[in-house]
Amino acid sequence: MNPFKLIIKELLYRKVSSAVIFITAIIACGVPVAIYTLSKASENETRKIMREQGLNLYIFPKGTNLIDFYSINNTPSFPENYVDVLAESKTFDAVRHLTGILQVKFPDWKDPNGSSQQIILVGYKDEAMQRYLPQQETMGFDVVKGSVQVGALLSRNIPEGAPFTIIGKDGQQHSFKIAKRLEEGRGLIDQGVAFNLEDLQSILGMDGRINKIEALGCVCKDGRIKNARGQVQAVFPDLEVTELSSIADARENQRLMMNKYGAFIIPFVVIGCLLITGLLFYQNINARRFEIGLLKAMGNSTGSILFMILAKAFIIGLAGSILGFFAGSMVAEYFGKEIFLFTAMSIKPIWMVFWVSIIIFPFLWMLGSWIPALIASRMDAAKILSEEY
Amino acid sequence: MLELQNITKIYRKGSKSFTALKSINLKIDKGDFCTVLGPSGAGKSTLLHLIGGLIRPDSGSITYNNRDIYQMSGQELDNYRRKHLGFMFQQFYLMPYLTVLDNIKLAISNENNKSGIIDYFLQKCNLTELIHKYPSELSVGEKQRTAFIRAIISNPAILLADEPTGNLDPANSKILLSLILDFNKNGGTVLLVSHDPDTLKFSNKRITLNTGNLVAAV
Repeated sequence: MNPFKLIIKELLYRKVSSAVIFITAIIACGVPVAIYTLSKASENETRKIMREQGLNLYIFPKGTNLIDFYSINNTPSFPENYVDVLAESKTFDAVRHLTGILQVKFPDWKDPNGSSQQIILVGYKDEAMQRYLPQQETMGFDVVKGSVQVGALLSRNIPEGAPFTIIGKDGQQHSFKIAKRLEEGRGLIDQGVAFNLEDLQSILGMDGRINKIEALGCVCKDGRIKNARGQVQAVFPDLEVTELSSIADARENQRLMMNKYGAFIIPFVVIGCLLITGLLFYQNINARRFEIGLLKAMGNSTGSILFMILAKAFIIGLAGSILGFFAGSMVAEYFGKEIFLFTAMSIKPIWMVFWVSIIIFPFLWMLGSWIPALIASRMDAAKILSEEY
Repeated sequence: MLELQNITKIYRKGSKSFTALKSINLKIDKGDFCTVLGPSGAGKSTLLHLIGGLIRPDSGSITYNNRDIYQMSGQELDNYRRKHLGFMFQQFYLMPYLTVLDNIKLAISNENNKSGIIDYFLQKCNLTELIHKYPSELSVGEKQRTAFIRAIISNPAILLADEPTGNLDPANSKILLSLILDFNKNGGTVLLVSHDPDTLKFSNKRITLNTGNLVAAV
């Protein structure tokens, strides 16, 4: 008889014990899936929150005075194609979200009422695509060419619907559609304007130049800044790297907390469920000792008994991983919406996890049932068949 | 066909030991109907298990068609049990989750070539109407007849039956014994452990054991 038919019939016959084993497998797969999905949601949430706070790594020409740098005084510029060269480097992986920026003080901007004031102008190059690294959602400002985003304090002086106008270095007036009026509390940009880099370069007559790169440093074992600096300077020795550790620490702590939590809870749940599975399988083979004895008496080999138990574990692991994946994803989606406000709508099943689960869990369940399967295969048929039924 | 030479089997548990069979010599020929008699603890089941290749003797040899079964590899021993032996037990040992038909099919490797034979035996054993029933829905007689078909469906040379009528009423015992006799008449060798005196009428050889000793083999 086909051994799979035998396994399915036995599973259906012992409904309660089969259901308990299935539920254990579903929990064992569902919990890690839920945690992983939530940790990804948490990462995205952090990314989105951090986007509001800005990137944490600053890359600028060596020798730049940091007081000038943070005060946005005239600091040296460098070619914007440095960003693309870094992004294209195959070994450059300690820094993500490379964004070329040109930022200057504009001392004499005239608002629509004719009042003069000093403002900050920041031009953002589109975030560089690091095609040798896994793709991530972009961070920072995305300013469409021909439009600007105006800081909260500045926008008070510009009527609704009016464009933003500025006199460029060429003496001409440049006009931009205001795509967004930024909320208050975003630092210097409250008193400034965010441009597409090309637009600002054109206004300032600084074509192809930037004066800093903002980025995110990795969560590296040997230190964020050390790693990032090493990799940047390996490509461009004339650049320096510094970071805003408060943002970086918050981000890293948040990510590490989720990783630590996952690293503790996932093995705990999986190993716990594996032990329970082992015990349930042990109980199952004891309940089936007469069947096993009979199968042996009928000439079934030790290997075929072993196969029968392990195949059953494989089937349970496979079915459990499929159901567990959907259950875990549903739980993550349900609770994630309550926890993560920014990313609530983007918490979706991670299909990569599905494929990994259906490969790993059947084998884990075979591992969990290995000792009971071995015991079953070594059962003494003569002794069993001499016992009272 | 089957020869036991100086077979001794000792069960050990800690420091205690119990000799189940002592220096048994036996010869069973093809087509024999042997009834194994003896009181409880005489070693009857042990003898069947030794012939069935389920336990190893402490000394002596069992040869089947001139091959010592305990010199066979594990795979050869499995093949010996699968192809040459059929087992029947007092407790039937039917799989509770399989129907009558599936319980029978458990004993055959190639179901396609056996459907005609299965039908023949189902009819002969009056089980045709019950093929989709589960063991829990069968009477003891029906269960034992199912176990009988399972034991002989692969056309074994030897049927090892350990008190198969022990749980049956006289009417069902009679039916079962007649089926076993048919198997014997068709060339099968039967080794039947029984307390039932009716079985003696069919057997051409009687083996009597007592406390592990062969008292008589006639």
